[in-house]
Amino acid sequence: MNALKATNVVKYFRTPEPFKVLKNVSFEVDKGEFVSIVGKSGSGKSTLLYLLSTMDTDYEGSININGTLVTGKKQNELAAFRNEHIGFVFQFHYLLPEFTLLDNVMLPALKLNSKSKEEIQNRSMELLDMLGLKGYEHKRASNLSGGQQQRVAIARALINDPAIIMGDEPTGNLDSQNTKIVFDIFKDLAREKGQTIITVTHDEEFAANSDRIIELRDGEIIGTQEN
Amino acid sequence: MNTDYKIAWVHLTSRIRQLLVATLSVTFGISMYIFMNSFMSGVNDTQTEITFTSMAHIRIYNDLPTGTPIPIMKEPMEKNTILMVDNARHILYTEGMKNTDPIVTAVSKISDVQAVTVQMNENVFLQNGVSKVSASLSGIDVPNENKVFNTSHYMVSGDLKELDKRTDAIVLGTGLASSLGLSNGDNVTLTTSDGVTKNYKIVGLFETGSKGTDQTKAMISIYAARQLYSKNKSYATDIQININDYNEARAVAVEMKGITSYKIEAWQEGNSQLDSANVLRNITAMAVSLTILIVAGFGIYNIMNMTVNEKIKEIAILKAMGYNGKDIVKIFLTQSVVIGFIGGIIGLILGFTISKIVSKIPFKIATLDTLPINFNPKDYILAFVFGIFITFWAGYLPAYKASKVDPVDIIRG
Ligand SMILES: Nc1ncnc2c1ncn2[C@@H]1O[C@H](COP(=O)(O)OP(=O)(O)OP(=O)(O)O)[C@@H](O)[C@H]1O
Ligand SMILES: [Mg+2]
Repeated sequence: MNALKATNVVKYFRTPEPFKVLKNVSFEVDKGEFVSIVGKSGSGKSTLLYLLSTMDTDYEGSININGTLVTGKKQNELAAFRNEHIGFVFQFHYLLPEFTLLDNVMLPALKLNSKSKEEIQNRSMELLDMLGLKGYEHKRASNLSGGQQQRVAIARALINDPAIIMGDEPTGNLDSQNTKIVFDIFKDLAREKGQTIITVTHDEEFAANSDRIIELRDGEIIGTQEN
Repeated sequence: MNTDYKIAWVHLTSRIRQLLVATLSVTFGISMYIFMNSFMSGVNDTQTEITFTSMAHIRIYNDLPTGTPIPIMKEPMEKNTILMVDNARHILYTEGMKNTDPIVTAVSKISDVQAVTVQMNENVFLQNGVSKVSASLSGIDVPNENKVFNTSHYMVSGDLKELDKRTDAIVLGTGLASSLGLSNGDNVTLTTSDGVTKNYKIVGLFETGSKGTDQTKAMISIYAARQLYSKNKSYATDIQININDYNEARAVAVEMKGITSYKIEAWQEGNSQLDSANVLRNITAMAVSLTILIVAGFGIYNIMNMTVNEKIKEIAILKAMGYNGKDIVKIFLTQSVVIGFIGGIIGLILGFTISKIVSKIPFKIATLDTLPINFNPKDYILAFVFGIFITFWAGYLPAYKASKVDPVDIIRG
């Protein structure tokens, strides 16, 4: 079974003028695979990722995640689906500024509500520790640097042990040392826990070390490269 | 604690100033609602009380029949005979009501009836030396009169009960007494329309606050009145009836239809100006206070709208993480309901305090000593219900808008 399968995905933007951003994009990702999506700015990487993450439902074609056809599902079903199966790290870190780091990381798990509060809290502490944020747990998110916030966002994406982790330049704001930490975490998750990773990246080294590179140009896949 | 409530709580407590402003607007709206309505109902009750010092809720009396007079002779059978009545009119064959006892007994049995009294009302002249004025004399049944009109309450000197002790006792309105130059304890000469003259001793003065009454009314015992006019034992011109709720007078009057063929008249007939003044005052109070509440609602709407716009990124991120539309509505609606609730409770207390203070302000007009304020639980309950209702909707609209935010639009930037 594929972790993810996109079939003939077509996406239009209607404003400011009709524009076909994605043209017949089809590809599959195996469970436990670590895939990088690369391409020039404006090639449609983020757009594709929003479709795969089920947040954007305005497209043609079909998307299958973990054997579930997500195309055509209702918004509320998709919200629940995302909560359980998908972890997302955005191009720009988006944290809730009035909450502590710990609260921010815990929120998706509290929503899922499948573990006790203690378990969630312990797991959140572990993740923050792993991402080098030990001691900051009770700080408010708004008091952190961009790089720190990005790492909190990664911890938050991991809290529900999602089958797929998607990142839109998750290391874009990080220095090389932290980039290495994040890369290693992703690699571990893929190897040891069998979680699937799909990230958009501009970092050539990052891409080169992943399992497979998918290259986009003008909304089309122009090549894949197994490493 | 549910996560949605936790988020709502963090939002609320991180903006204390806005929370305060929103809460105050609800507090203000609700306390004004309570005050306005308590004041208006106080004014209405005072007005009604003054009205009913001289008028009962229902009156039974001997009236000329209305409509075209019907000839007492039957229409003749023969075709070549016509019946011609020249100048047909109603004639009052008897004045007053001869035997009121059975009517009083029957009326008293109706459950809504609170008190019944009989009166003998006649126009007379009162004279003191050279000053002579016309007055309306009321022969009253003292204990029952008191039950219906609370007459003792308006006595400024003397004692109403004296009327029952002697047949030459009379009480006068203060205005009437002063236009005759008389005071308590003096003597006065009374002349009836039939020319009968009798001396009375003033045993008391009353003041109802209604000038018309105070300047014209004199009261003696109904037994003395019957004697004066040589009427039989249960004769009366009016039966005055009070019921539990004066607004129901019309319905109760209809219920009494079968008891007697005399005219049964609810107070609203011929006094619609009083009735409509009450209704209009209530409408004004309602309209003004609801407007204040609605303005408070707009305040909350505005603040919640600002909050939603301010938090739009957070809403997007919550939705991306799997919070659905319902969660978002809950997060923002909780905030406005909390504001409504806190503001409402404080508003109830403030409204009560304002009413209490105002009810202590001296206001010496007519029978009033202080400004009239009612403390009616209904006003408080309604104020709270309206307050919660309005804050609910003022919060729901922005919350609904928030729940419809498309996360991709926001996150894409
Ligand atoms: N909301 C929108 N309406 C119209 N056009 C859009 C919208 N969002 C993106 N586009 C256009 O779609 C194309 C793809 O954008 P997208 O954000 O997917 O690029 P990207 O590959 O992620 O670029 P980058 O590397 O800079 O993040 C661009 O040409 C962009 O201008
Ligand atoms: Mg992008």
